[in-house]
Amino acid sequence: MSDREPAHALVIEDSAAVSGAMRILFESAGHRVSVAASVAEALSVGTNDPAELVLLDLTLPDGNGLSLVEPLRAAGCKTVVALTGHDDAETRAKCLAAGCADVFVKPVPARELVARSAKWLQSSANPPSV
Amino acid sequence: MTRLDTAADAPAKLQAAPSEAHAVLEARLKEAIVEIAELRARDSLKTQFLANISHDLRTPLTAVITHAEILRDGILGDLSPQQMESVRGIISGGRQLLSQVGEILTYARGAANQLTLVPTRFAIRGVLEEVSSLNESLLKKKLISLSVESEPSLPPVMADREKVAHVVGNLLGNAIEFTPSGGHVWVRAARRQGDGPPAILVEVGDTGLGIAPEHHELIFREFAQVDSSASRAHHGTGLGLTIARKLVELHGGRIWLESELGTGSRFFFTVPIEQTP
Repeated sequence: MSDREPAHALVIEDSAAVSGAMRILFESAGHRVSVAASVAEALSVGTNDPAELVLLDLTLPDGNGLSLVEPLRAAGCKTVVALTGHDDAETRAKCLAAGCADVFVKPVPARELVARSAKWLQSSANPPSV
Repeated sequence: MTRLDTAADAPAKLQAAPSEAHAVLEARLKEAIVEIAELRARDSLKTQFLANISHDLRTPLTAVITHAEILRDGILGDLSPQQMESVRGIISGGRQLLSQVGEILTYARGAANQLTLVPTRFAIRGVLEEVSSLNESLLKKKLISLSVESEPSLPPVMADREKVAHVVGNLLGNAIEFTPSGGHVWVRAARRQGDGPPAILVEVGDTGLGIAPEHHELIFREFAQVDSSASRAHHGTGLGLTIARKLVELHGGRIWLESELGTGSRFFFTVPIEQTP
């Protein structure tokens, strides 16, 4: 990614301790990271500065994170991935139905998250011709 | 009723006294019904609290584990061997706590009837192998051998795969926990024989301590401990079998065990081949 702008990753997460860890992880992988701690903040960041990759927590202080998938994608954010504390098939199905590209149960192992993010960013750069 | 004055008024008294007693009983019954409703409401509040708190615990645990993994993976620079050992301790403790919190959450959801099944068709053998491989390092550490067997050409089951894996995981975890070093545990699947809807019978057995027959029913009950000193010496929430039973029964299956003290244990449960209505 040396000859390109670093990819923008938007972390939507209301726990500063968790978003801090995400920032370290994604910055270390060479991405530019923004953090939003609420639905309102995420809408403002995501529309002003659309991200290639959005990491979305579902439980936010001012609403359900899934309500963000559509407006963020409409604003130009490419891949939205849900990171949730709910370890069940129902939540997974809801996230996929809402338009998330993938769903992970927290805590996703650090190494796996970085490896996956490279894949997500690659697929957002070359969208599949469906 | 103390005495009968005359033969003439006896029937009236006989009627009056029982109706008085009846009224008292009725009033007491009404009170009891109200009390039971109150207790149920409080119990369900407590269950909801348990579900909320265990879900909320995941967030700080996520922070602890992810930050520790960042250190372990050298993302912020290399660690000395002692630092690495310490960080690995944080991760393993955090992951253990996380899985216990997950068990409490599943238990609370089960108690509040909030667990739903997402049935798919799958081969049971794959689940047995997957769960076994998750326990590989623990088996190696305790020098316990494991065999996974399944009857040839078993039909696929129709069930919630994650929840069936959870049941196998809890039973296998228990088998390993209560089997001394050098022992053997096994996981088997076969077609269930006899009447009833078609089902697969899964067995998780061990050559461990065994369980006295009078405790066979007790160990499936929540908060029940066969021997509190033994459970303290062993890890876990103590909810594993309660959860296993709940998940099996949600599928319309049955779970039971065959065991005697000193002879090891064999746990069995059924998984439906066709979806139960």
